[in-house]
Amino acid sequence: MKVRINVIVNGEKHHLEVKPNHTLVDVLREELSLTGTKKGCGSGKCGSCTVLMDGRPVNSCLILAPQADGREVVTIEGLAGREPHPLQKAFAEKGAIQCGYCAPGMILTAKALLDVNPNPQEEEIRFAIAGNLCRCTGYSKTVEAIRSCANSSRNNRPSAGRKAYA
Amino acid sequence: MRDLDVVGQSYPQIDAMEKAMGKTKFVSDLALPNMLYGRILRSPYAHARIKHIDISKAKSLTGVKAVVAYADTPGIKFGPRTEDWTILASDKVRFCGDEVAAVAAVDEDIAEGALDLIKVEYEELPMVSDPLEAMEPDVPLIHEDKPGNIAFEFKIDVGDVDEAFKNSYVIYEDRYYTNQVYQAYLEPMGAIADVDLSGRITFWVGTQIPNMMRMTYAKAMGVSPDSIRVIVPDYGGAFGAKMENNVHLVAAVLAQKAGYPVKMINTRHDDFIAGNPRVPMYIDIKLGATREGILTGKEVRVVGGAGARVVYAHAIVATACYRADSLYRFKHVRSKGYTVYTNTVPTSCFRGFGNAQMTFVLESALDTIADQLDIDPAELRIKNGIGPDEVSIHGWIINSCGLKDCISKATEAAKWQEKRQLKKPFRGIGISCCNHVSGNRAFAREFDGAGGIVRIGRDGRVTVYAGESDMGQGQKTVFAQIVAERLGVPLNLVHVAIVDTDFSPFGLGSFATRGTLMGGNGVLAAADDAFKQLADVAAEMLEANPNDIECSNEKFFVKGSPERNVPFKDVTEKATFVRYGSPVVGTGFYNPGTELPDAETKYGNISPAYPFACQVAEVEVDPDTGQIKVLNFVAAHDIGRAINPMATEGQIQGGVIQGLGWALMENMVTENGSIANPDFLDYLIPTALDSPNITPILVEPIESSGPYGAKGIGEPALNPAMSAITNAIYNATGIRIKELPVSAEKILKELKKRPK
Repeated sequence: MKVRINVIVNGEKHHLEVKPNHTLVDVLREELSLTGTKKGCGSGKCGSCTVLMDGRPVNSCLILAPQADGREVVTIEGLAGREPHPLQKAFAEKGAIQCGYCAPGMILTAKALLDVNPNPQEEEIRFAIAGNLCRCTGYSKTVEAIRSCANSSRNNRPSAGRKAYA
Repeated sequence: MRDLDVVGQSYPQIDAMEKAMGKTKFVSDLALPNMLYGRILRSPYAHARIKHIDISKAKSLTGVKAVVAYADTPGIKFGPRTEDWTILASDKVRFCGDEVAAVAAVDEDIAEGALDLIKVEYEELPMVSDPLEAMEPDVPLIHEDKPGNIAFEFKIDVGDVDEAFKNSYVIYEDRYYTNQVYQAYLEPMGAIADVDLSGRITFWVGTQIPNMMRMTYAKAMGVSPDSIRVIVPDYGGAFGAKMENNVHLVAAVLAQKAGYPVKMINTRHDDFIAGNPRVPMYIDIKLGATREGILTGKEVRVVGGAGARVVYAHAIVATACYRADSLYRFKHVRSKGYTVYTNTVPTSCFRGFGNAQMTFVLESALDTIADQLDIDPAELRIKNGIGPDEVSIHGWIINSCGLKDCISKATEAAKWQEKRQLKKPFRGIGISCCNHVSGNRAFAREFDGAGGIVRIGRDGRVTVYAGESDMGQGQKTVFAQIVAERLGVPLNLVHVAIVDTDFSPFGLGSFATRGTLMGGNGVLAAADDAFKQLADVAAEMLEANPNDIECSNEKFFVKGSPERNVPFKDVTEKATFVRYGSPVVGTGFYNPGTELPDAETKYGNISPAYPFACQVAEVEVDPDTGQIKVLNFVAAHDIGRAINPMATEGQIQGGVIQGLGWALMENMVTENGSIANPDFLDYLIPTALDSPNITPILVEPIESSGPYGAKGIGEPALNPAMSAITNAIYNATGIRIKELPVSAEKILKELKKRPK
């Protein structure tokens, strides 16, 4: 038996029929081919599958597909406007990406942090991304990349790089 | 040498933006038309006889396309080095997680559901999970042909150790234990397997060793190596783990049976219980020194738990037995190593490859001796440390060596002197060093070295093919920088192909900290060849001698007259025309000239170069809770020339945090033969909150054998971290940690033993 849901993903409306036991990550990856959202553990422990749901970061492997009904979801594919988001640039340029499997989730968590706290201290950054595991970088460059996008380190807050619906 | 343009620059990884945008297709993102999903039924018992398997019910479930058990496999015994594997269990299972049967179905839910319909009758057998126990008499044999459960013995005896101990002022003797830890790469292991009409099998698999894997899998499938193709898409980390594993072969057997491609990606649970975590070791060490602190002799006995299959554990135990001997000027050493079967998950490679285990023990022992002799631990290491152009006790020719530089720079940056002298209660600072290899002739089978291919098309696009895959460490970027430098073109013109055994050189792979030195030299030789071909064309265009042609900033010119030049792309276009469309293809190889160690004495130079490191950790211990906090961490590494300083720093920071995780957090707990914590809730790896900032220091003596002077970094980044931390704990509390990991509980227990 399938359940109908309406969900906005990266600004686009989708009417989907989903298995009720399926999770949001499965819907994104399998139904919508949005494989930028990664699956690292399937149980909400690694953060690889982080997406923004109504602007807040969630482990999409813990959200049952029917729970996404009526929600607005942003995945890594929807973060960039015409230009990559400043966080995406910073992660690449500062060496915060090695294997990159954690990067989509990590970047979206950082985006959610900067949305509510545009000028976080290092401890606040570390606290915010503590649910996103990275096994490659040791987090030093990750923190550096996020800090470089904080309000105080930028001349102009790049509203142009922010997606209107995000 | 002229100034370098591209090498030595901190470029972002060439594929970082794709990854940041979520565009990179990792192995687990790939899908083929009509692809099925596979699942493995794993043994719930650590040791049991299989009496009967019934797959009939599973077969009849709608959506199931293939169900296989041992009878459906080629039934060949095989293994990367020791032929103690079968694709699915034949008569008995040897660990919880052993592969028993498998299903391919149209979706994962159905495959999972079908597993429940497979009926297996087991007869439980007595089991053993501790390697010391496994060696005792009257313990059940895991493989009947290996008495005492001893898979391998390793011996080395150089000089006169007994005499050396007699001449020692101090002798330290103790037993250490290094536990089993999990590599915890973020993308679980897995593969897609497809079989074509001729029976040829293609694997899309994240692996460090595509070519060696192909040879092993050919044997397992009973086909010739050329009937196997291994394609390595981008994959999410490995740290030693992503080598041969049954999960890939089961996908191939299912694909053969079903006639459709099969995708088999481990769940995280399966990855924990049936990946190949680090070899746990009991290490007995005896170390002597003179009153002045000159090391006299070293004796070790290593017992490594291989789990139910050897995989590469024997080579890891051997490495633990003797690699660290070349860090100091030892003259007398003796080691005995036992690789022992147990009824646990097969263990294997994890960053450090046995040297990580021994470095923890040796550097802890050194710290104790320094204390006994009242010599500064940093001074003790400088006194005994090996230097450039020396030959070590095992015949290792140390070309470049920045060990002492690493020690002085790390201690200076960490304010070592000051902090040792003005010691505050429950605060401590500790030091640890390590050596490593860049390639390992003893481990490579037929040869060590590497080849490369550089293809340059009409439009000037450069494509590099190598056999050393990029697991995220930045291998592609390093190869691109080396080739761009040699050709005299900007980095954005150079692309690095994924490894595909149909096109790429027969590279041994990315392990033994060999990618940059070996693979880098391979692609450099290929770029050299391609350059010469283009120089011939450019020489004609410039009416000059090909030997005088140079290229920089994408322009060919005659040496000394850069103002008269032809653009790179004009030359590549001309080259394609005069060759009637054939691209310029440069090939080349690197022969490191290393030696296979003597079978008896183990004497022989196994690597063309040796990286070194010194790490200093500062900790604070909470006397009320036993909690340990790492306050500061400095890691100085001799890496030859850093091809990419930012990427090198990233390797160091990541390696140190993995070592910190091992030292303070990580432990695979085995209860009654089964892993009790097979998930990230109960098996914790460092988060951003657990990770202090790491200060990397690059020490760059130019290494004559390395591409543009480079050595490797992968493994030495981790090796010294555990003992840097535990030596700091000793300095803070006087508690000598002999068993990893350290926990607040252990510290508190020790503190409570003390008189108030």
